[in-house]
Amino acid sequence: MSSLLDPGQTAIPTETPGWQASLELGLAERGGRTVLAHKRQFGPLTVQRPFYPEGGPCHIYLLHPPGGVVGGDRLDVAVDVGEGAHTLFTTPGATKFYRSAGPCAQLTQRLSVAAGGVLEWFPQENILFPGANLRLNTQVELTADARFLGWEVHSLGRPAVGERFESGCADLRLSLRRAGVPLLLERLWIGDGVGLDGPTGLRGHPVTGTLLATGAAAPDLAAVRTQAVPPTDLLWGATLVGDLLIARCLAIGTEPVNRLFTLLWGILRPRLLGRPACPPRIWCT
Amino acid sequence: MTTDLPLLRLLQLASPSLPVGGFTYSQGIEWAVDAGWLRTAADLEAWVGDQLGAALARVDLPLLVRMQAAAGALDPAAMASLIDRLIASRETAELRLEEANRGRALADLLIAWDLPGARDWRGLLGRSGTAGLAFAASAWQIEPRSVAAGYAWSWIETLVLAGVKCVPLGQTQGQQALARLAALIPGTVAAALALPDEDIGASCAALAIASSAHETQYTRLFRS
Repeated sequence: MSSLLDPGQTAIPTETPGWQASLELGLAERGGRTVLAHKRQFGPLTVQRPFYPEGGPCHIYLLHPPGGVVGGDRLDVAVDVGEGAHTLFTTPGATKFYRSAGPCAQLTQRLSVAAGGVLEWFPQENILFPGANLRLNTQVELTADARFLGWEVHSLGRPAVGERFESGCADLRLSLRRAGVPLLLERLWIGDGVGLDGPTGLRGHPVTGTLLATGAAAPDLAAVRTQAVPPTDLLWGATLVGDLLIARCLAIGTEPVNRLFTLLWGILRPRLLGRPACPPRIWCT
Repeated sequence: MTTDLPLLRLLQLASPSLPVGGFTYSQGIEWAVDAGWLRTAADLEAWVGDQLGAALARVDLPLLVRMQAAAGALDPAAMASLIDRLIASRETAELRLEEANRGRALADLLIAWDLPGARDWRGLLGRSGTAGLAFAASAWQIEPRSVAAGYAWSWIETLVLAGVKCVPLGQTQGQQALARLAALIPGTVAAALALPDEDIGASCAALAIASSAHETQYTRLFRS
């Protein structure tokens, strides 16, 4: 894989070269249907052929490198949803970040949505194996009335097999901007076990999730709070800042978080996008 | 010892008697007590200390010193962008409202003190109490390091007193917690001042959940 590298990158002797992959996607509205109008791909990041289980909106499965992400990998995803286009992204499975001998893995996701566009971003969870060293940066950029519904779920370590994220580093950033003005800036830092148990942070929960929905108002927040019958095995809360609804949760496993977020999406999608939730079939497999 | 006017200015700015409503905010502590997360003085101290090392060291204090520089440079565009970053880093509606409420009250006070430019900057400073403090600190020539320490002190005092009321704890226990937390401030300020711009940012999930839940808490004394 080192033969694929930009020669400029190989000059840094301390970095073990890994995958250098990028994926650029442009979605456009064409006669009531959203099409994948642009795709540029380099390295092992790709998408499956788009499909249309609910008419106009385009559903896309994003495929990360087979076999997971290791230290030194650098993955860049850029999604550009054009005016009036509507796209839903998910992944066929969890994205795994493996133990690193030192170098950092970097995953940068730039998601931009033009006026009247809708991006639904529902990747399955990120699993950070103990010893992983990851810098993740998800940046959502909206123009004017563009909409975004999405979530991020991180599993620090593998709670299912009792592996805590005792070693390794994680710098997990999530931001949402409208016309360049930040509406939300979040950044979770975990370094060599520090940050796993903080009473105002994770409180010992290995799994943390954030759901975002723009275009929301007070009745939507009330609906989420009163209609959602949340799983009892997690902590969660929802708030509304401007028109951005944010739900956050902490849990000991990913399953209750996925259940809660799918439930909240089922409540929010008809209210915000005028469509019933249409869960990707891959989630049921 | 010389009579240090900037120190006296800082004492006034950091005083709980400053009419910006500091004592009305608990930043999620009221709910955390109700939920059984905070039962003892040790729980309260750990809660406040954790936030000091995370949010204050990585968001509030680094942005505060940059805001003071923006005020000193008479650069409202830079100040506006720093205020945007601070507010976007506040996790919930209540925490953002608190920032704005303190901002409006302090902006009026800055005008009442006749600080040069306060009237022109009122709209901007009315969005953020932190920005108002930075503006006053610049006008009164208080060292940025001292301002950061004063901000941190005033913040731990507000939260510990809120905790003392909610848990409830004895006044002496509160003062003991404050004395220990104060000892963390110099290191926190040093870390905050050394933080590069690209490293600014924090995430306090449990605080965000507590503050979100506080918005609908049935009986409450505090506004956040």
